[in-house]
Amino acid sequence: MMNQDESGLDELLRSYRSACPDVEPGPLFMPMLWQKIEARHSFWWVFQGFARTAMAGCAALALLLLALNLAGPQPGLPSPSYTDALVADHSAEKMYYAESVITRQPVQMDDSRY
Amino acid sequence: MLVEQELIERARGGDTAAFNEMVLAYRKRILGTISRLIGRPEDVEDVAQEVFVRLYYSLDQLRTAEVFEPWLYRLTVNASYDYLRRSKRRGESRMSDLSEQQVMMADAMAGGKQDAEDRQRGEIREFVDALFQHVSEEDRLLLTLKEVEGLSLKELEKIYRVNENALKVRLFRARQRVLKAYNAATADGKL
Repeated sequence: MMNQDESGLDELLRSYRSACPDVEPGPLFMPMLWQKIEARHSFWWVFQGFARTAMAGCAALALLLLALNLAGPQPGLPSPSYTDALVADHSAEKMYYAESVITRQPVQMDDSRY
Repeated sequence: MLVEQELIERARGGDTAAFNEMVLAYRKRILGTISRLIGRPEDVEDVAQEVFVRLYYSLDQLRTAEVFEPWLYRLTVNASYDYLRRSKRRGESRMSDLSEQQVMMADAMAGGKQDAEDRQRGEIREFVDALFQHVSEEDRLLLTLKEVEGLSLKELEKIYRVNENALKVRLFRARQRVLKAYNAATADGKL
């Protein structure tokens, strides 16, 4: 029974093969194919051009940053940090405040109250 | 092979005349295969052109001319599968998805007056397409290549790049599902 079904299916698939009509290529098959190849080619050409320009730009920027880095402060000298610069800028104020505190009379504590 | 290895080598080297010759030699076979794989005659040429465009841009990846045919079949299967996935997303239907009445209306609108033989062929196509709907698209493509196109397991192994045993198991399961649907249909008297 199972074998009969199997052979029935095989026969059906064979007749399916012959029932599917052969597809003849249309007259525009080749011109359309070359059009599609050219279209994809031009897309890739534009994409590659863009990628090359972007890569050249990145390389130039990297070189510029490297040059700026080399032309900056000489190595060996410690560069002042932001907080160092702030401290240096406000040192006069600090001094004035410190002096005013120092010139005040020290408070005398009355130990007998405790 | 339908073409000489020397022609493939020339096409690989960028000879457009050789590529043209190759397309002319294979296009009818590829159109036939795609027609059976996708089941929509109006889109067969588009998919075939996609296959040859992919071939044009991947010829340089071809290791030797000997593996050209499995390579071309692989591109054909992939392009057909991509097309089927796109169509599924767009919600398009094959003729076999439509009800009998809709198919008759479509035929009438197309003005098609089929004779008895053509009608019988149409019925066979619809019946097999309906049976193949019981398996996934991937299995349907595999089953079509094996059972309808008549490719051997060795050829399928080269196309799918999986070992023969895995293919056998997959084919067996897919065939069993189709056979079950076939039995159910014959029991209902649809055939």
